[in-house]
Amino acid sequence: MQNLVQILVDAVALGSLYALVALAIGLVFGVMRLINFAQADYITIGAFALVVPTASVSPPLLLGALPLAFMVGGVVTVVVLLALATERLAFRPMRGSDPATLLISSFAVSYFLQNLVMMIHSGRPKSVGIGNSLSAAIEIGGIRVPGTQLLTMGVTSVMLVAMVFFLKKTPMGIQMRAAAENFEMARLMGVKANRVIAAAFAISGIMAAAVSLLLVVQTGTLDVRMGLMPVIFAFFATVIGGMGSLPGAALGGFIVGFVIVALQAFLPPDLRAFRDAFVFMLVIGFLLFRPKGLIVNRAARERV
Amino acid sequence: MYEYKFARGLKQLAAAAVISVTPIGVALAEEAPIKVGFAIAQSGWLSNYDLAPYRAAIAKIDKINADGGLLGRKIEYILGDTKTEQERAATVGAEMVSSEVDLLVVSCDYDFGAPAALAANNAGIITMSLCAADPKMGVQGVGPYAFTANSAAQSEGIAIAEYAFKEMGLKTAYVLEDTTIEYNKSNCAGFRYAWKEMAGEDAIVGEDTFRNEDPSIAAQITRIKALDTAPDAIHVCSFTPGGASAVRQLRAAGIDAPILASTAMVDNYWLNAVPGLKDFYLPGFMSLYGDDPRPEMAEFLEVFKERWDALPVSSYSVLGYSLIESWAHAVEQAETVESDEVLAVMNTYKDEPFTAGPTTFTDQLHVQVNRPWLIMKVENDTFQAVEVFRNSLTPDMRLLFRVGQ
Repeated sequence: MQNLVQILVDAVALGSLYALVALAIGLVFGVMRLINFAQADYITIGAFALVVPTASVSPPLLLGALPLAFMVGGVVTVVVLLALATERLAFRPMRGSDPATLLISSFAVSYFLQNLVMMIHSGRPKSVGIGNSLSAAIEIGGIRVPGTQLLTMGVTSVMLVAMVFFLKKTPMGIQMRAAAENFEMARLMGVKANRVIAAAFAISGIMAAAVSLLLVVQTGTLDVRMGLMPVIFAFFATVIGGMGSLPGAALGGFIVGFVIVALQAFLPPDLRAFRDAFVFMLVIGFLLFRPKGLIVNRAARERV
Repeated sequence: MYEYKFARGLKQLAAAAVISVTPIGVALAEEAPIKVGFAIAQSGWLSNYDLAPYRAAIAKIDKINADGGLLGRKIEYILGDTKTEQERAATVGAEMVSSEVDLLVVSCDYDFGAPAALAANNAGIITMSLCAADPKMGVQGVGPYAFTANSAAQSEGIAIAEYAFKEMGLKTAYVLEDTTIEYNKSNCAGFRYAWKEMAGEDAIVGEDTFRNEDPSIAAQITRIKALDTAPDAIHVCSFTPGGASAVRQLRAAGIDAPILASTAMVDNYWLNAVPGLKDFYLPGFMSLYGDDPRPEMAEFLEVFKERWDALPVSSYSVLGYSLIESWAHAVEQAETVESDEVLAVMNTYKDEPFTAGPTTFTDQLHVQVNRPWLIMKVENDTFQAVEVFRNSLTPDMRLLFRVGQ
């Protein structure tokens, strides 16, 4: 029983990380019909901003050396600026292209950013010791909760609540919802496309920055491909939850986290190595039998 | 291949004819430089694994040249960038072959080195990988002209198992296998074999897998924590960054058992991820930190520093140095760079004392299976040399190629 509760805690923690990434992808998809794979590189670059950009294998800290508030603020600023720059330079000229073209351009941006990081920081993995005290585990009634998991769950809950508040109560949030539902109609009603899309990118940047910091505290390492798998799994999450639906993205993130942890915990040893293949099968299943995902976005429904 | 050899043979015949009629040709022919080709990744992620041993190889070549050359001839080297792409590796390999290199050095990895190595092997040119740990970089995989300067990954697992069991008195182990690449699987296979052989079938109290890119191994930690009795040691077959992340999470979860790791986790660059790490052991090639008990390592570091004005960033570099050493030695013995003759000499190597350690090749095995390791441990946030240790168990062919596993 205790073991089951522990597995549940592990699953919620992993799920919240994927939910955070999925929300960012879902948000940008909602307003622009762009599946932004460069989100992976926002995460990577946010993490690399912690150290001085050099090819050295053990670089000194840059933003990572600042006090907590400045470090978080610095990483958020870097990633938000990066997200805005990619939107302005790469995605804005492509606006209105069909989703497949946009998807390909996001791969191009991702490839470019990844190689940029490799050029500046070299392709070798590096390590950073920040938030070491956070990684220690707390025991609550025999259940082990590492500080990083607690932090991940906390950050995701705060972000979720903030997002709901932003979308329901602020003018920009309402415009964003309008744009997500019917972009042309929203524009006709006076919603400024550039501002709404830029705001969505900025928010996806804030979320990417949060994920970079959480990943670094959890793993202690930096790698040019560190953002890739979280983004791929988060993409699955948006497929499962329903493309374009934010609650769907968050729900999908938790489902993916649960499935991965459950497979790891209950698959027989010989099959455990193929854990991810089962996750892929689940996604294929969704694409075949429920292609719009669990929570169907109204806009998506109208489009068919 | 035969046509090619025939063509080469004709060319040599022609050259011999020229030499025999014009005495001045002898001197010219002798002065023609020996050519070593490098088909390695100078860019892309693999470059950071290729460049350190490559630089060491260059340091050795320059030293040989400074000491009067090989067979009285200078060694000249040409460099091709595979950009960490398998297709490009094949192209670069073919280009090197057509520029008639006498030795082709390829990437530090079987998957990325093999395409170039195949081109050389098919042309009957000796080809050596800087540090592939896969025995397929040899007779049974690439072909009879292919070698690797490294030991088989299985022997890493065997060595650390033997050391932990015999010298540290550990009796039970838990195996945590990163299934991302074959190297890890081979390493774990070697460990399992040796541990069961010494401590008994039940001495491996549990196993689990993870992926290098997993952001969290919480579920794996839960399984270890749920064991009735904690294992004496945890064997982690992985590489950075995933390996470092796993070690950080294991220690954060309060699992303090000694961690036995694979050689790929060597060197200090990742230790920031786990401040205050201790009881972490692995079989290394050499120490970069001035405490290696073998004087030849100090000499290697000196030669490297003289050539590149800096110490190597990776202890894998010594393999590149030794690679050139082992080939040049065979050339000297054979008194020619002719591949078949050099190959015949290399295949008779038995514990030849090269810098990286005693080196043995046979006509069946072109990878080391029990070269002594420098056991290293982490203490005070740095790797420290413990002692040189040679495994007595060796992997058989079935284990080396993981047949039936």
